[in-house]
Amino acid sequence: MQRSLTWALLLFALAGFGSSIVHADDNLADHLAACAACHGKQGEGVNGAEYYPHLAGKPAAYLFEQLQGFRDGRRVNAPMVWLVQFADDAWLREIANYYAALPPRTQAADTGAAQLTPEVAQRAEQLVREGDPARRAPACSACHGANLAGLEPGIPATIGLPADYIVAQFGHWRTGSRHALAPDCMHEVAMALTPEDIRAVATWLSQQSNPQGTRPAPAGSFTPPLSCGALATEGAR
Amino acid sequence: MKLRRALIVSSMVLLPFVLAALAVFGVLFARQGGFEPYRVPYGGSRVVASDAATIARGEYLARIGDCEACHTTRGGTPFAGGRAFATGFGTLYSPNITPDTQHGIGDWSADEFVHVMRYGVSRRGVLYPVFPYAHFARVSDADLDAIHAWLRTQPASANEPPPNRLEPPADSRRMLVFWRMLHERPDASTPLDPNDRGRYLVEGLGHCAMCHSARGERGSLPPEGHLAGGVIPGLGWYAPPLDRVQLERYSDQELADYLRYGTAAHGSAYGPMAEVSYASLHALTTEDALAIARYLKQVEPAPLRPAPVAVHGDAVGGKGADLYADACGDCHGKDGEGKPGAYPPLRDAVAMTAPDPINAVRIVLYGGMAITSTGNPRPHSMPPFVERMEPADIAEVLNYARRRFGGRDSRLTAEDVRSMYGLVVD
Repeated sequence: MQRSLTWALLLFALAGFGSSIVHADDNLADHLAACAACHGKQGEGVNGAEYYPHLAGKPAAYLFEQLQGFRDGRRVNAPMVWLVQFADDAWLREIANYYAALPPRTQAADTGAAQLTPEVAQRAEQLVREGDPARRAPACSACHGANLAGLEPGIPATIGLPADYIVAQFGHWRTGSRHALAPDCMHEVAMALTPEDIRAVATWLSQQSNPQGTRPAPAGSFTPPLSCGALATEGAR
Repeated sequence: MKLRRALIVSSMVLLPFVLAALAVFGVLFARQGGFEPYRVPYGGSRVVASDAATIARGEYLARIGDCEACHTTRGGTPFAGGRAFATGFGTLYSPNITPDTQHGIGDWSADEFVHVMRYGVSRRGVLYPVFPYAHFARVSDADLDAIHAWLRTQPASANEPPPNRLEPPADSRRMLVFWRMLHERPDASTPLDPNDRGRYLVEGLGHCAMCHSARGERGSLPPEGHLAGGVIPGLGWYAPPLDRVQLERYSDQELADYLRYGTAAHGSAYGPMAEVSYASLHALTTEDALAIARYLKQVEPAPLRPAPVAVHGDAVGGKGADLYADACGDCHGKDGEGKPGAYPPLRDAVAMTAPDPINAVRIVLYGGMAITSTGNPRPHSMPPFVERMEPADIAEVLNYARRRFGGRDSRLTAEDVRSMYGLVVD
């Protein structure tokens, strides 16, 4: 009796939880026309608007943290701050969950961008796969995954992002106008790399694709070398 | 000898002018309140009640006064100050009003707090009139004390806001005495009856007139422009008049809902009003929200209020109509009727009827998302067109829409639209 009551309560709780996220009665996309203008109807990005990152398939906790960051002054981008500044956590979480559940972008971003010379491409790939111990720069893949598809809950995919977007984020991390929950690893990484390295890595990453639509690795499936605030994104809530 | 005589003669000629100038000075000085505002009561033994009920009432009143919005930066400690205010005279930064004794107002006495709220003069000198003391002067002593009691319960912060960056002569607080002689009339700002609830909240803590009035010389708020609507200094948005003509289309309940939820039958709050609903008015009790609505709906139009437009334009063809059908019609409807509960009607919307087109241009450029509130927890949004539409086309489609749905003879040019680029998100 007690067990079935527990089950009933659990199911009830789950149903309640689910209903706060999924509203079958109306289409969430109808609410998010402002987002779609730059990020695409399915969060897949917009061809021709090659500055904006795709959102689809990124970890929900990561997306939520970014939305909160724009609202609360941890990230600075006037059009984003403008749109989310009067939104509460419940709504930002719903938006984050919506884009996280969509299929990840499969294409590269800058397909028409200038190709890297073989030497620069090799340097970029080396930084991505192995890092540069002399500069105390870890490999991208050490945190973002061997396939660069990200790691739940706080680390996003880095492939298929526009090169200019990646370069701009490095600038923001360096100057502190974008910062993650402490310790802010990307600030350290951004300070360790030269502008040439940043441009090379950004261009190389933008030209990678994710044809299988691989989703971020489950939380704890590998251990990044740095103890970043981003890893605690969910735990901090 | 000749020189002496000339001096005597000329001083006799000048004497009446000097006396007249002194008389005018005296009258103006008396009308701005005489010496009373400048006698700041430091110390004093009066103690503010700090029982739980008083503190709870103070919190509610401070919320309706929206102290936090001006005295807090994005992501900053509440009430620690530092938010920037762009004015025609330079940039001001709000002060720290946390209970920190060194950087905040922790050692202000009960009398000093009430004095500052009423007269706009503190131990730091004369305050700039971005601080709505002429409105707070209309609040009862008991309510000001309650606000003070609640503020004293907030966490102290040692934040020191940046110094103001103002141009002469506005950089001198002493010069503000001359401003007050020209524009300050405390006789018109005596405390109101707290039971005359709508008036008390609108004219007092709500300080609605700070944005919703026509400004006069040197940023003043002349009585003939009271609630007459106008472009908000430093923010680049137009605030509509608040009177019975403007608000006729709202029922009391719809207007109360709009204030609390940031959205109602005629559309959503955007621009600075979105913040007011999100940070302040959402907390209104049902009775207070209705009282405000009832009061505003019977305000007589002020002399400086622009005449409303009565006639709407016809549905004419042309490029504006084509652009509207392509970019706007799906959501706002073929005839500007909107979709209830999702996309606001454009017919009679403030952005369409306003004499100044700035709201319409800015919403089209940067889009927006209605605030989240208990009445609208999952808001809809408007996409930004700044990268998708040329300024000339934005001018064209808005001229069409403002003529058709607002009855405005709108003549925006691409140049006008370009001049309204730029988002203020501090």
